[in-house]
Amino acid sequence: MVDWQRTVAGDTDASETSSVSVTGLSKAYGPDGALRALDDFTLEFPAGQCTVLLGPSGCGKTTVLRSIAGLITPDSGRITIGATTAFDAASGKYDPPEKRRLGMVFQSYALWPHLSVAENIGYPLAATGMPKAIIRSKVEAMLDWVGLSGMGGRFVHELSGGQQQRVSLGRAVVGNPRAILFDEPLSNLDARLRERMRIELLGLRQRTPFTSIYVTHDQLEAMTLGDKIVVMRAGKIEQVGTPEDVYKRPRTRFAADFMGIPNLIEGSIRAIQPDGFIVDTVLGTLLTRGWRDDWNIGERCTVALRPTLITFSADRQGEAPSGRVIRSVFQGTSTIHMIDVAGTAITLESFSDERHADGATVAVGPINGAVFALLAD
Amino acid sequence: MSMARRARGGVLRPARALLDWDYAIFTMIAAVAAIMVSYPAVLVLLRSISTEDIGSPLTFEWLRALVDSSRSREALVNTAIYTAGSSALAMALGVGLAFLSTRTDVPGGRLLGLLAILPILVPPFILVVGWVALADPNAGLINIAASWLMGERTVLVDINTMSGLIWMTGLFLAPYVYLLVAAGFRNCDPSMEEAARVSGASRLRLLRTVILPLQRPALLAALLLVVVMSAGDFIIPSTVGLKARIYMLPSLIWQNSSTFPARPGLAAAQSMLLVVIGLICIFFQRRALQRGGRYTLLGGKGVGITAFPLGRMRYPLATLALLFALCSSLLPVLSVSMMAFMRFWAPYAMTLENLTLRNFRYVLFEYPKVWPSAQNSLLLAVLGATLCVLLAVILAWYFIRMRGRFAGLIEYAMVIPLGIPGIALGVGILSLWILVPGGIYGTLWILLLAYVTAHIPVAIQFVGSALHRIHNDLEDASRICGRSLLGTLRRINLPLMRPALIGCWLLTYVVILREISLVILLYNPSTIVLSVGLMDIWGSGFYPELAVYSLLLLVLGLVPVLLFGRFARFTAD
Repeated sequence: MVDWQRTVAGDTDASETSSVSVTGLSKAYGPDGALRALDDFTLEFPAGQCTVLLGPSGCGKTTVLRSIAGLITPDSGRITIGATTAFDAASGKYDPPEKRRLGMVFQSYALWPHLSVAENIGYPLAATGMPKAIIRSKVEAMLDWVGLSGMGGRFVHELSGGQQQRVSLGRAVVGNPRAILFDEPLSNLDARLRERMRIELLGLRQRTPFTSIYVTHDQLEAMTLGDKIVVMRAGKIEQVGTPEDVYKRPRTRFAADFMGIPNLIEGSIRAIQPDGFIVDTVLGTLLTRGWRDDWNIGERCTVALRPTLITFSADRQGEAPSGRVIRSVFQGTSTIHMIDVAGTAITLESFSDERHADGATVAVGPINGAVFALLAD
Repeated sequence: MSMARRARGGVLRPARALLDWDYAIFTMIAAVAAIMVSYPAVLVLLRSISTEDIGSPLTFEWLRALVDSSRSREALVNTAIYTAGSSALAMALGVGLAFLSTRTDVPGGRLLGLLAILPILVPPFILVVGWVALADPNAGLINIAASWLMGERTVLVDINTMSGLIWMTGLFLAPYVYLLVAAGFRNCDPSMEEAARVSGASRLRLLRTVILPLQRPALLAALLLVVVMSAGDFIIPSTVGLKARIYMLPSLIWQNSSTFPARPGLAAAQSMLLVVIGLICIFFQRRALQRGGRYTLLGGKGVGITAFPLGRMRYPLATLALLFALCSSLLPVLSVSMMAFMRFWAPYAMTLENLTLRNFRYVLFEYPKVWPSAQNSLLLAVLGATLCVLLAVILAWYFIRMRGRFAGLIEYAMVIPLGIPGIALGVGILSLWILVPGGIYGTLWILLLAYVTAHIPVAIQFVGSALHRIHNDLEDASRICGRSLLGTLRRINLPLMRPALIGCWLLTYVVILREISLVILLYNPSTIVLSVGLMDIWGSGFYPELAVYSLLLLVLGLVPVLLFGRFARFTAD
């Protein structure tokens, strides 16, 4: 495989991958700005890293991306790409998209049906007025890089969905952009292809780190691809962190829910320890950690329990809390059990073959060494 | 784009000011276009209440004359009968052919569909001359054949009657109904029909409860369109209609403005009546089409839709449909062609000795008016079609992509010409430019202006639907790849819209070439065009020359269509 930055940009031209920084971005729609799509959004996108904006539809993640691209003009705030200010509402500075030297991969691929694959990929180069011979060699290298060697003469409709997505990626990368924007690029692919493209994208990024800003609503995509995950809600940042942080310790109920944790149970702080907080819940005392430190003993709080960190057994011993099995659902690698513990429905996921009849009474508790997420709200 | 809109007000912003230029230019062109299409209606109204040219004292004399003059009253009644009859016939033919060709197992359904829209390419004048040749009480082929069969002189059909006029107009309008309705029939969502069938509906019940109700907006839109078109139709009422002494509003408007004693005020009042009826119809037609939005079925590919079996009626119905389809295109063209080779045209002239090429020689090489008017016609048709397409691209971009502040209003204004019959539009345009000394009155430019004004609404529909098909992302991607707005328009939008643009150009070209009513009041001897020349020859009554002349018009219209038709897309759905 070829290193695209060397073959494409040439040795003399150093990689232009830049950081992007967004400060105080706001955007409202509708009469009198009733609908706030983006509310004072500030974030640093470090050079060479992949930052994933994660959230449900309407959370403002696409607005951020399109503002950076220059396709939307925010109402206020500043966008800096590398050393240049691309947008500043205060000074009236606005660079149109074509001046920002970015690449973008669209959910719809946005490949031009009247151009061949090679012409699609070479389009950003042609727009700079580069000589045809150089464009040809760079496009060849790019085709090679995305694994489509020899397909340059084809037209878009002759390619499969995955191949189209690769052309789209090639086009985004070929102009040696300062950052590449991904707008839910994999959500039009079927599940298996999505997984393969995800791994491929990861491989490409490992070989040549480029600044990427990636928008998705799929937490699995966010986990695998992101160096940093930004969970968004209603135009604001809910939580920023590494994939592990966000997965293991969601900061809020919203983040926990969005990261797929069904069990949000009430409790009260029992003790404060150096390695976390001990919380009293219906499942007994649990060791928890969160992002807030100013808890008082006895304060009400909410704990998020991942279903895989809870276990159950038939023999009830000691004072372990007990529950009644509502139903069990076999789903392949694991089985989901819904259990009623003192009026609270708890979902747990087990990888063993242990089964209990609906209505059976079982003992429920955390697995050994489990640390749960103490939510801030 | 929103970025441009937000730039107005507040601090002067250098980078955005640049974008504002694009926006300002587009807005200006759109505003000028809106004025262009709306002033004729206003001026028709003004002229109808002015004693002399606009600016003179106001009067109700002309409005009163509308009902007081017996000729005018007669024309009102005739126009009403004519409109009702030909609209009903056009609807029956159009909907019937559309249903047969798309939803039944009729043999040759595709051919039938093609034949149903073919007449759009045939100038209505061919239809007129062709049906005179077929159904003239004395020399019509049908009557000659009937007399020969019966052994005595028999008049089976007479084109010089109200029913003859209605017959021709119905045939002429049926393809427009077909176009509006067939797409809807074809694009039915099969799952909706399957759901009805599974719920226990028989085929007939399915037709009554699902298929037809879903087409209601399209049917209503088609009906209103043919009402406007037939009420304002000029050619048939002022050729066969005048010959049969059946007066209608459009032909009276012409007579009142151009024959002695001219009464332009009364002509304006009569135009005003047509404009009011037309605008009301167009208002409701738009509303029907907009409401049709909720009936729009996406994803319908016409696969698996219920085909209605016709059973024993299959072949009889196919024959009947074919006959109707032939009546509006091939049959008239054939009879006109036959007429063109005859030395003179009379019942006893249908013999081999009477065949001649003299008419061709005369019309093409000796008749002095032919080549100058052909030159004018071609120049105007090419320029007019090009201008229409260009303007439509700019306006469609303004409405759809820029979504300027006045986009909604201007977009609405741009359909006005659809409701104004050609002759009334001519009255409106004339009323303004006659007042401008040294203006375009009496030049080719006033004809060009009239053509562009009349045909811009359809061009916008065409180009707009093509632009709607282009996903925003395709343009955004090009911008991010480093092309400016204009570069994107040139490299991405125009190539992607090319088939629709060519289709739009060809259609506009063909329609301009045949247009008579629009320019009959605006031309003068130095700016005469081919189609108006037809009216002159009609007046002289020499039919074989008329036949050659109208064939020339047909051929000039067809040449570019045959040459470039395969690069074009003609549907504006």
